[in-house]
Amino acid sequence: MNRLLTVAEMTLRELLRRRGVLLLLLLMPLTFYLIRRDAYLGQSVRSLLLGVGWAVSTAALFATTAARELEPRLRLAGYRPHHLYLGRMLGLWTVGLVISVPFFLLPLVDGAELRYAGLAAAMLCSVGVAAPFGMLIGALLPRELEGTLLLLTVVTVQMLIDPAGSGAKLTPFWSSREIATWAVDHTDEGYLSRGALHGLAVTTLLVLGVAAVASVRLRRRRHLRHLPVG
Amino acid sequence: MNADDWLRTFTAELHQRRVAADAARHVVAEAATHLREGGGDPWVVFGPPHQYAAAIVESIGTAPGPRPGPVRLHARGITKRYGRRTVLSDATLTVRAGQIAAVVGANGCGKSTFLRICAGLVSPDAGEVTISGRLGYCPQSGGTADFLLADEHFVLVGAGQGVARGPARRAGRAAARQLGWEAGGDMLARHLSGGTRQKLNLTMSTLSNPDVLLLDEPYQGFDQGTYVNFWDQLARLRDAGKAIVVVTHLLNQLDRVDTVLDLTPTPQSGWLAPGVQGGHP
Repeated sequence: MNRLLTVAEMTLRELLRRRGVLLLLLLMPLTFYLIRRDAYLGQSVRSLLLGVGWAVSTAALFATTAARELEPRLRLAGYRPHHLYLGRMLGLWTVGLVISVPFFLLPLVDGAELRYAGLAAAMLCSVGVAAPFGMLIGALLPRELEGTLLLLTVVTVQMLIDPAGSGAKLTPFWSSREIATWAVDHTDEGYLSRGALHGLAVTTLLVLGVAAVASVRLRRRRHLRHLPVG
Repeated sequence: MNADDWLRTFTAELHQRRVAADAARHVVAEAATHLREGGGDPWVVFGPPHQYAAAIVESIGTAPGPRPGPVRLHARGITKRYGRRTVLSDATLTVRAGQIAAVVGANGCGKSTFLRICAGLVSPDAGEVTISGRLGYCPQSGGTADFLLADEHFVLVGAGQGVARGPARRAGRAAARQLGWEAGGDMLARHLSGGTRQKLNLTMSTLSNPDVLLLDEPYQGFDQGTYVNFWDQLARLRDAGKAIVVVTHLLNQLDRVDTVLDLTPTPQSGWLAPGVQGGHP
């Protein structure tokens, strides 16, 4: 447990020291919110959630890429793969939740009449999905540029796709959109339960995906035999 | 060469001649006191460092060479291909406790690949590696986190072994001091110079008290003093019973190692000392 928490703590420290990145992390969802502010509020809140998801995914992608060289030597230093990926994920979830707080308060200050419990749940889904999603892309694509372009593509698809279509459910942030609809438009409970279930399922799948890739990349190779010191 | 440089070179010469560590420290301290109190140019007072070291060895003798212990690393028949290009062909290396092995060869002959295979970071196409005890690895570059302090690196590595923060920090700083670096500052790794960053890299690899230490040209960017400290540090670790493999292209240090693996893909290796193990038969 100590190893997992140490990795989480170091991930947090690294991210908090990247002031420029933090500023951009905060700027991105704010821009998404403001750019749709003149139109219908629901759209504005949904954009805000997508902005939070994108920001946290990008941070996760960069944190994963930056740790690529360090992780094999930490593995030799006694860490198991799950300490490394779960610790990093824990750190990223924490950062995501911290940057979500001002964006949770933003519509409140703006005087929007929302179901705020729904907004909180949507934020939670957005952050919950974003961290493993960015990490998975970072683990599969070793170069930051390719990873960023893939993230951009996914978020663009998420923005443009018809949310009522069946294909929308395959996009990672569909859950927060669905819950946001419940929160903004005061629709029936079905939106909330569908969204929560989707969020939970996607987060679980992504965490398992990250676990699988990390376990393969940081596996004990078959050619190497360890003997205790005689 | 000023008095400090002379003393540093003299110390290295004593180590190279295997004068016992305590005796060497005593002799160097005496020479330093003599120079401080009496003044004068050390070249005039004592002569060239290597000659004075030879005279000392004649007078007090050398420590018995450490007897190699049990085999700690045995790499056998390592073959690695990238596409149709074979970078390693049937390379074999055995290193015992208390030995330093050098892996040498031309650029691109697979030195780093061989070390990464020994560390278990890359799979070979054929061959196997047996390691007895704990393994430490220092890459040629990278392997540190840009936005962490040196102390935080020590804590991170220490936690892997279940070492508490305070002891990990102290152990890291002490190991860094052996390389002439005071590591306790508040400078992020990305702001360290290339050489200091490599000191951090090297310190991290020794922090987990490994039985087998794999070093991939870890002295990139070191100044002369640090370079001497580095080889002294290796000698200390060897004397403490560690098995060390160091990738190097600096052939003038081969007299400080016990065995050499030449990965140059030519049969000629007549310049190498006895103990050479060929990687390309």
